[in-house]
Amino acid sequence: MRTTRYGLLIGMLLLLVPAVMFAGAQREEAAGQSGPEKISLSVYHYLDQTDKTTAPNFQELVDAFSKQYPEIELTFEFGYGESFHNKLQTLAMSGQLPDIILLYPGKRTAQVTSAGLVKDLRPWLQGHEDEFASMAMQPQGKNGEIWELPEDISITSIMYTNNKLLEQLGLTLPKTMDELLVQGETIRKAGLIPLAMANKDDWAMQSCFAGMIAERTCGLQWFDAALAGEASFSEPRFVRSLEIIKQLHDENMFSPGVNQLAYGQGLDDFVNERAVYLIDGGWTVNQLVGELTDSQKAYVTLESFPDITNQAGESGSTSATAGQGFGMNAKLDEKQAEAAWKWIWFYSGPEGSAIRQRHGRLPAYNLDTPKEADPMIQKLIRYAAKAPMGYVLDAVIGAEPIGVFNNNLQQMMFGNKTPQQVADELETMVDEIDRGN
Amino acid sequence: MPVRKSLLPWKIFAYSIMVLFTILAITPLLWLLTSSFKPHAEIVRNPLGLPRTWYMENFRRAWTQGSLGVYFMNSVFYSIIATSITTLFALGSGYTFAKFNYRISKFFFALYTLGLLITVHSVIVPLFVLETYTGIGNTRLGVIIPYIAFGLPFAVYLATGYLKGIPDSLEEAALIDGATYMQIFRYIIVPVATPIIATMFIYTFLSNWNEFVLVLTLTSKTAIRSLPVGINSFAGGMSRDYGLQFSALVIGTIPMILFYLIFHEYLERGFAAGISKE
Amino acid sequence: MHNRFRKRYSYWLLTAPGLVVFLLVIMFPVIYSVSLSFTEWSGYGTPKFVGMKNYIDILSDSIFLHGLRNNLLIVFISVFGQIPLGFIFAYILHRRMVGGGRFFQTMIFLPITISSVVVALLWNQIFSASGLFTAFMRIITEDPRYVIGMFEQKNLAIVPILFVLLWMHTGTYMVIYLANLQKISPSIIEAAQIDGASEGQTLRRIILPSMFPVIATTAIFAISGSLKAFDLIYAMTGGGPAHFSEVIAIYMYVNTFKYYKYGFGSAASIIIILLSVGLILILQFFTRRIERRNG
Repeated sequence: MRTTRYGLLIGMLLLLVPAVMFAGAQREEAAGQSGPEKISLSVYHYLDQTDKTTAPNFQELVDAFSKQYPEIELTFEFGYGESFHNKLQTLAMSGQLPDIILLYPGKRTAQVTSAGLVKDLRPWLQGHEDEFASMAMQPQGKNGEIWELPEDISITSIMYTNNKLLEQLGLTLPKTMDELLVQGETIRKAGLIPLAMANKDDWAMQSCFAGMIAERTCGLQWFDAALAGEASFSEPRFVRSLEIIKQLHDENMFSPGVNQLAYGQGLDDFVNERAVYLIDGGWTVNQLVGELTDSQKAYVTLESFPDITNQAGESGSTSATAGQGFGMNAKLDEKQAEAAWKWIWFYSGPEGSAIRQRHGRLPAYNLDTPKEADPMIQKLIRYAAKAPMGYVLDAVIGAEPIGVFNNNLQQMMFGNKTPQQVADELETMVDEIDRGN
Repeated sequence: MPVRKSLLPWKIFAYSIMVLFTILAITPLLWLLTSSFKPHAEIVRNPLGLPRTWYMENFRRAWTQGSLGVYFMNSVFYSIIATSITTLFALGSGYTFAKFNYRISKFFFALYTLGLLITVHSVIVPLFVLETYTGIGNTRLGVIIPYIAFGLPFAVYLATGYLKGIPDSLEEAALIDGATYMQIFRYIIVPVATPIIATMFIYTFLSNWNEFVLVLTLTSKTAIRSLPVGINSFAGGMSRDYGLQFSALVIGTIPMILFYLIFHEYLERGFAAGISKE
Repeated sequence: MHNRFRKRYSYWLLTAPGLVVFLLVIMFPVIYSVSLSFTEWSGYGTPKFVGMKNYIDILSDSIFLHGLRNNLLIVFISVFGQIPLGFIFAYILHRRMVGGGRFFQTMIFLPITISSVVVALLWNQIFSASGLFTAFMRIITEDPRYVIGMFEQKNLAIVPILFVLLWMHTGTYMVIYLANLQKISPSIIEAAQIDGASEGQTLRRIILPSMFPVIATTAIFAISGSLKAFDLIYAMTGGGPAHFSEVIAIYMYVNTFKYYKYGFGSAASIIIILLSVGLILILQFFTRRIERRNG
């Protein structure tokens, strides 16, 4: 009895091992058989394969590319969330970077770009600069290099507004923050949340709010000076932006337990009409397209946070950054680089951008507004066209200072640190780590 | 019956704590299972209720879009191969540590104990570099070898403990009869150790099946990645689809529960044998 | 002579394969980590030797110290929560105090098969500020802004995690103890009870002493598991909010993989190992003393 069972098990194993091993080998063989004129390139990309809009959209783009360039064969590896960055780091450190890599314009992937592991794209890009939004063409390296060709403009702070609730409560869109604070009372009395926000994953408050509010209290010029070391984050104007966050928190403007809500739960509250406003990035439009009903889409609008007193920045401004895009490995030879550029240009240039725009993204490449797009997408495009844009902090400040800052924002809301302390710590770390390099 | 009477408060306590734990174990699984049959929008709007219709689309999409079929086969492959080798190696070491009376065994055993304390994160970068240099990076072998290594400390611990409990007389008799040590291992130790083999196998299998960090870092081709990587691509982040996420989690969890329900008796029997003395 | 050679040859044949794999995959990186822990390195160029600086910085970092405190609480709940509770379950089942023992046994062990991602997900759906429990409490307290205050307090934020850990791992200990209880010959217990020993006396005089070595061994697993605890906590809270539920393994992970401080992160992982070794040695010291006293 026992022998039979062991026999069966061993038999199964014997069948399984070659089957699986062979399955892998076959694929590799197929790749090897391709004719000499074919070029194979590996691509590392950030993609959530379950995203209802992004994943099919990306597939559409890849299909269109391989139809146009059958001689270029791309093999993809997808990373996602934090593990994307961990793997990228490991790949870079061991000299195993793929041929084409998704990179970020700011500090997020600085460990790859500043180490000279990727090529400067300017020689290929030359002559096309004007076809992109100017934000996307800002230099990414010390000598003005463009390491990656940005696919999108990423707006990180939008005040999504439920106008139906607003009307039911007898309110109108606030012009100033003081007005907003007064509204808070009415909204809470109705059992609703004034500003839905989820900051358990502590980047949200920084990315979706702090950058925008710092733009308002400090202004863009001052911010440039602070990054260059000519002004200090300890100065009152930056501290003021933190005080505003503290005030909004203490006056119960954010979701109750804002620091306990996982990212996405603020959106849940907004979709279910438990919140009048939602503070979130432009990428959320992707989700709203799928989750709002048609009637909701009619009365949900995209607005800017209201003016604050003594505002140094522009009225109605938000924070934004040029989005990620593909760069190429510095080791590629001329022929490979040529093929890699074809993909990069296809992706971020006119063809790919048109495909992505249809699916709710804001391409960095200048295109006309599509006529058939979802109402929410059209609203996003209109919003992007009119709102002045400041910096997103995590795009201009290094990983460690921003990590500590994110956490300190939570500490500050809990009353364990004062805005001045948080600002001082940021100044110390930025000075020590970012400005030194 | 005085014993019975004094047992009554014990009984009440016993039942309540057992029932509480059972509810805690079952509810999440039931909730996960029912939710996986709802479309995303319904989960957001009505997280608790039963699905209005049994929506199979989640499973279909998770399976095809996330290449879960390929991942599933790879998981089975890695779990079986790595676990078998771990078990064999651990049994060999356990035999020598328990029966050979070499002083160096103590040192090796201490090293394995140290291995119990090592987290995957603290070895992952040097390991990746090592694999790249030796050329086994991004191959199946490159996944299996670390799996074997991480399974060993606990398995060696179990095997050594078990084999120490077996009387020396069996082995000595065989030696006098002229058997070689390898023959003793094959014909005496292995049969005697069946319960502990089952335990090592099941326990190691469970942890290999759920392993994520190693396979993610050490591989890049879809063709050789395993289920947790596939499932992770459905969990959380900037965009979300709870329905897909839940159905992917169900696909990853159900085989383990079935595996456990079928084999748990072996597991329990072996634990008794393995962890008797240090 | 010949025999001794044969024995040595067999020893290595049986021991070496596992040992080689183990040394290459685990010990080599650990040694590499030790040397890296005295340097400053962001992943490129040559590491810069900084002596004990990383260790000093870590040990004087209040975030690390809070993480250490949380880890010690986890050790505490494992050794003085999971182990006794596991024993109680095993004892209840062994003495057949409940009907349907098999069923309960299966259920209590079940959480081991559930991945921590699922546990964290569920947790979030129930206890987060938009979760079910919170919604329920908001109705009861008539406070639409009710949230569970514990999560936002520095000293208490770890408590929910302790509960989940208790729930997840008690089953393992139960299975181990149950199996070993079954090895105690029932005739000894019967004999004692015929002699008039009460339930409590049997437990204290016969069962506990014979289970002692097993309990000591499982305590080693509990300690090592507690100090490297990562997956579940990372999925549940990520160490937050504001590092309140931080543990050393998360501290190490964030510094290495998010801040790219390889030397610093290595030092943190070495500290985890040293702490575990220290605690295990203390445990063994006490075990030996108790064993000697028991004769």
